[in-house]
Amino acid sequence: MENRLIITKYSEQYYPPTPNNFTLFLRRSIFFQLIRFFILNYKIMKIVIKGHS
Amino acid sequence: MANIVVLGAGIAGHTAAAYLQKGLNKKEHKITVISPTPTYQWIPSNIWVGVGKMTPEEIKFDLRPLYKKWGIEFIQAKAQSFYPEGDEHINTGFVEVEYNNEENKGEKIKVAYDYLINATGPKLNFEATEGLIPGNGNIASVCTFGHASHAWELLQSKLDKMKNGEKQIFVIGTGHPTATCQGAAFEYILNVDFEIKKRGLEKQAQVIWITNEYELGDFGMGGAFIPKGGFISNTKLFAESYFVERNITWIKRAGVKKLDDHTIYYENLDGEYLEQPYDFAMLIPGFAGHGFKAYDKTGKDISDKLFAPNGLMKVDADYTPKPFEEWTIKDWPETYQNPSYHNIFAPGIAFAPPHSISKPMTSKNGTPIFASAPRTGMPSGIMGKVTADNIINWIKTGNATMIHKASMGRMGAACIVSAGYGMRKGTAATMTVSPVVPDWEKFPQWGRDIKTTMGEPGLAGHWLKWLMHYMFLYKAKGLPFWWMIPE
Repeated sequence: MENRLIITKYSEQYYPPTPNNFTLFLRRSIFFQLIRFFILNYKIMKIVIKGHS
Repeated sequence: MANIVVLGAGIAGHTAAAYLQKGLNKKEHKITVISPTPTYQWIPSNIWVGVGKMTPEEIKFDLRPLYKKWGIEFIQAKAQSFYPEGDEHINTGFVEVEYNNEENKGEKIKVAYDYLINATGPKLNFEATEGLIPGNGNIASVCTFGHASHAWELLQSKLDKMKNGEKQIFVIGTGHPTATCQGAAFEYILNVDFEIKKRGLEKQAQVIWITNEYELGDFGMGGAFIPKGGFISNTKLFAESYFVERNITWIKRAGVKKLDDHTIYYENLDGEYLEQPYDFAMLIPGFAGHGFKAYDKTGKDISDKLFAPNGLMKVDADYTPKPFEEWTIKDWPETYQNPSYHNIFAPGIAFAPPHSISKPMTSKNGTPIFASAPRTGMPSGIMGKVTADNIINWIKTGNATMIHKASMGRMGAACIVSAGYGMRKGTAATMTVSPVVPDWEKFPQWGRDIKTTMGEPGLAGHWLKWLMHYMFLYKAKGLPFWWMIPE
């Protein structure tokens, strides 16, 4: 990862996980994200319904 | 006839007013909303105003025509003092308010009530941090649409400087040792970074997060555990990963004490006094109550009966001081009813929380440095609705039992953390937590229901946030079937 090269080793920023190219592709893929959009809506609605009960 | 007065027209106050007018016959009952400004603003979209993606006009509207249509009286005024028992001339509770409109500015009037909803939100306590003045020099804020509009102007000037080859340091985060609302600052830093990179200016920019959180991802709710990629990990990893991916560095456990034109002065939990240079700062101020006073029938000051020492209103919470290890969700209020005067309620940010959600930390010099409890849009809206439902039930049945409840220890919340605007290239993290306040008795392992607590970055999150902007403004405007949209 390009960013990882400019981060000082052994600093706090050196350790956290970073997404690989496949994960980044999925985050930007219109088709995959369209599916996730409906799933996320469903998950949020579950929280909303519970909050109003 | 019942006379209901709502102080404040933000998310909690406006939601309460909307459900009151829907549930009560307005020929029999009177509803009055008192607010210093006649506009409603959808605060979560301030972030997009602050990076020039929306104008203030797109996130606000004039409440007066709507209230006229709904039969609600609107008074443009600021609350000053509370008289819950009335005085020698008025036998019912009343509030003294000062007009804030052009015609009557400065004039004070008494507004009587049978039921009072105090939804005045927080005072943005900028003065608690020396030099933290939005609009002054290189200091911006996104707390109001006006602040956010100025933030965009300032950001543009910095982008222009970078285009001319100047390096700029952007510092965004919390501007007080016990500030809350980290989520808004988190969104803003990600959006600023997105706009910088979109213009190819990242080599000229250093973007730094400064926070009073013990660890990143605390967000004032003690962080959360979320299942992802075969692990259950803390939001610390989630937030750090977001920053590392974007090459944003961070300063944590920092209590900002002072700013001058180019330097932020802060103390950390180790007791060190440090400095951070900046060219652009957007730091969330501390929140406080508005400093209202309350008097009994004889004129004796009874402010301590209505308000906690921080100026926020006392409600049905357990305010008994106790150590962090003994905190439970039972400490948190359910009905937002004042324990001394049962016809007064305080939903939204106006109520005094029993304590923070994050563990209180103190520096070696004795300075408290930790995130205060957040109360975001969704819980505030639910509290406003529950308050209205209880008052409607009280009026209709004559039974003062509070049958509707909404504790932050039981309700969940969804938060969409924008990280860049764009229908194709935008991104946001969709976060849900249930409950908001961790319930370690019911969920001993993770504090929350791990099946409904999540954090997921992606383009879909941006679509959701964009949809919610229009959906909640539609609801706030009282357009057809508004009440079918949940809070």
